[in-house]
Amino acid sequence: MAAETQTATANVLPPPRTEVGVIGWMHANLFSSRLNSALTVVSGVLALVILWYGLRWVFWSADWTVVKTVGGLFLIGGYNTELACPGQNCFWRPQVSLLLVTALFGMTWAILGGGVAKRIAIITAVAAALFAFLPYSLERMGWDVRILLLANLPSTAIGWALARYTPLGQPRWVVAWGVAAFLITLVLQRGVANVPGLQPVSVVYWGGLTLNLILAVGGISLSLPIGIALALGRRSNLPVVKLLCVVFIEVFRGVPLITLLFMSQTLVPLAFPEDFPQNSLFRAAVVITLFSSAYMAENIRGGLQALHPGQAEAARALGLPGWQTTMLISLPQAIRNVIPAIVGQFIALFKDTSLVYIIGMVDIVEMGRVFISRPEYLASAREMFVFLAVVFWVFCYAMSYVSRHIERNLGVGQR
Amino acid sequence: MTTNGHNVTNEEIIVCRDVHKWFGNFHALRGVTTSVKKGEVVVIIGPSGSGKSTFIRTINRLEQHQRGEIIVDGIELTNDVRNIDAIRRDVGMVFQSFNLFPHLTVMNNITLAPMKVRHLPANEAEDIAMELLERVGIPEQADKYPAQLSGGQQQRVAIARALAMQPNIMMFDEPTSALDPEMIKEVLEVMRELAASQMTILAVTHELGFAREVADRIVMFDEGVIVEDQPPDDFFNNPRHERVKHFLSQIL
Repeated sequence: MAAETQTATANVLPPPRTEVGVIGWMHANLFSSRLNSALTVVSGVLALVILWYGLRWVFWSADWTVVKTVGGLFLIGGYNTELACPGQNCFWRPQVSLLLVTALFGMTWAILGGGVAKRIAIITAVAAALFAFLPYSLERMGWDVRILLLANLPSTAIGWALARYTPLGQPRWVVAWGVAAFLITLVLQRGVANVPGLQPVSVVYWGGLTLNLILAVGGISLSLPIGIALALGRRSNLPVVKLLCVVFIEVFRGVPLITLLFMSQTLVPLAFPEDFPQNSLFRAAVVITLFSSAYMAENIRGGLQALHPGQAEAARALGLPGWQTTMLISLPQAIRNVIPAIVGQFIALFKDTSLVYIIGMVDIVEMGRVFISRPEYLASAREMFVFLAVVFWVFCYAMSYVSRHIERNLGVGQR
Repeated sequence: MTTNGHNVTNEEIIVCRDVHKWFGNFHALRGVTTSVKKGEVVVIIGPSGSGKSTFIRTINRLEQHQRGEIIVDGIELTNDVRNIDAIRRDVGMVFQSFNLFPHLTVMNNITLAPMKVRHLPANEAEDIAMELLERVGIPEQADKYPAQLSGGQQQRVAIARALAMQPNIMMFDEPTSALDPEMIKEVLEVMRELAASQMTILAVTHELGFAREVADRIVMFDEGVIVEDQPPDDFFNNPRHERVKHFLSQIL
């Protein structure tokens, strides 16, 4: 027994060699058993084969001419055609919106400090600037477009400086700026009657990635609050409120989005006064947002159900009224716990925006389809869809990446 | 003055008359009549399912009683939300599972209710919170999150959080049942100090040592009614009810 009464520190030994280092890691994770070793080898070979043929196709056999030819049209669709924008060049309008966005990213970077916000701001600005040098078609766009693209670098810097050195650096001003940027984008895109250089452009010509992003940003920022309201309504003690929310959620979850989009063109007008200024884009946006809200509501309700009832009890016992208990105690925890599901819904919404081709709008995917149905590009369908897949993947991965960092910063799973 | 030296006044701060509570068909409280005087320390014991937790939870309306009346600090507990909120501000509650808010720091857990309900300015609420954290012995934990604390520390934060609303009554619902033995002591220490400061305390607990030492009265619940209500000495030495002897023999 004498040996066991040594001081505690004397018993602390370094881990055995097999537990640390590359060899230890490989042994533990790749070759821990015969089955594991076999799986490692097979999947390693498979990965190499896929990589070899994939890269050979991308750099050798694939013909990317079609992507280059579509060029700027991916970004704006038919927005800048002679038909949409007669007698003038309208490409600067979405460009200005992009400048507002990069300035917003710069502000976010200044507020949140380094890390994700900084990386995203820099990547966006640099990518936008690089577009100015890429050899793709900028039909009807001219050199001023390249200057506007390059201007994303200074605009990020200006946004950063504004947030850093002026009172605009408060989170609520940045949020206000974000909302303003979105509304300015809508006004710029639509144009204003009788203002030189801002001739109205009908929404049927809005298109390309700009259209996907407008629908996604609008849908994401509205479907979260609507979803929260629906989730709370569904848990309400008031039977009428509860019934309305249940009916709404179940109807929108129970009908395919494509059906809803078709129906929107005939049904949404009924919900608004006859002289209400609306159009096909507005109707699509309403339907996509409500569709997503119904799913969002169920995600958030799931988060609320998972909370320990003691949380609300403790808040009520302290004298907090019901709505403050919900806003300060239940919702923050519920939302935090279902961030993965919420972001999953955001991603689904972004991808679903390409369904607006159903109602005749030319989003980025439809733009590509228009080109590959031309005789000279019939053989390029593969290249086109691979390119489109990569574009969607970049945006969806960015969302997923940001959400992972938000989760980490909020300490999800740890506290 | 009573056996354990608290300044008990004659003012009855909690009055319960014939309180009944059903969960569906289950009759949980079957006519509870009792009162607590200002400054008194009352410990409630009883087998599980006897209605002791349900009883203290009806006092701040975490459970709604269906018959009888409950009057707390002169306010009758009715369906009037204003009355309920007034009573909740006046009655601090500490739970078995702490129920700290995991997304808020210790400091924010304590300052939340004073700022939102009593509308204290932030610096004032923080001063009170620091004072209370010192009182429960963990001022250095103010900026941590609940999950970073031990169970005993969390329960002491929960006590500080309840005290921050400056209640006249503190209720404890098995405050040490979820704790490791070595942490029970630090929580009981805080409760002892509270009792000595003339706080009115209503505590459901199985800590009989604590009850004997601190309580002015021990109340035993069984099957939804009070079967014994005596000062500790009489409670332990000559209980009137056979069930008390049986219960004591089981847990001692």
